[in-house]
Amino acid sequence: MTSTLEHLDTEGAVRASVELPWRTVVWDDPVNLMTYVSYVFRSYFGFARAEAERLMLLVHTEGRAAVATGNREAMERHAQAMHGYGLQATVERVEP
Amino acid sequence: MIVAGLGGGEGVRIVLETEEAMLLSELADQVDSVLLLGEADDPALGRLLPNAYPDDHDAAHDYTRYTRDSLVDGKRQAAQRVRDATAVEDHGGVVQIELDQSEAWGWLTFLTDLRLILAERVGIVDEDEADADETRDDYLRAAYEWAGFVQGSMLEVLDPIKG
Repeated sequence: MTSTLEHLDTEGAVRASVELPWRTVVWDDPVNLMTYVSYVFRSYFGFARAEAERLMLLVHTEGRAAVATGNREAMERHAQAMHGYGLQATVERVEP
Repeated sequence: MIVAGLGGGEGVRIVLETEEAMLLSELADQVDSVLLLGEADDPALGRLLPNAYPDDHDAAHDYTRYTRDSLVDGKRQAAQRVRDATAVEDHGGVVQIELDQSEAWGWLTFLTDLRLILAERVGIVDEDEADADETRDDYLRAAYEWAGFVQGSMLEVLDPIKG
């Protein structure tokens, strides 16, 4: 299992290795404009246009897309931000 | 309704007919009311404040406890700013509004919240069924379409597709 680079400090590396990572998932809804979703992904996560479009299309065609992976607290912060933008987002454990 | 870029900086200028401004102001006030007074079981409120843990009741409860106030505050603030910016008394003429990047985000998120509420009220649950119940709430449906048009126009200016 690879951990995130943010956890390179010793204590963090130990914690990351025993904790299963979590992820933030954005779900499709019939209301939001595709251009808006893509713009939110770029502005908030700092994704390049191509990556933002890929994730937006994944949401649109598959019904959901994982937009971030990491510790639970960070994933809740992302979900809260997505809710602030009016996107449907959930937090879930990454299955081993 | 006209949306144009701001010269020399990032932002938008929105020109609204007075009637459009009054409509938007009224709708913004209603969004604010839903957030302030909405019953806990109002499905529209559920769309604005989604459950982050649909399969975990306790985690969902905690998430709501820690985030709800701040989300409601942010959304109410956005709605109130739109309401105030579009509040006009004189009939006739146009209303010009200039928004910088950050103010424009407030409008974009407000328009999203507005559409989420209207979609719930008119029962838009599936993109393909957008015309399913035409007789019901034509006014709300028109407002829903119009809010999408305003948002789409803003995005064309704020985030032009290059090449």
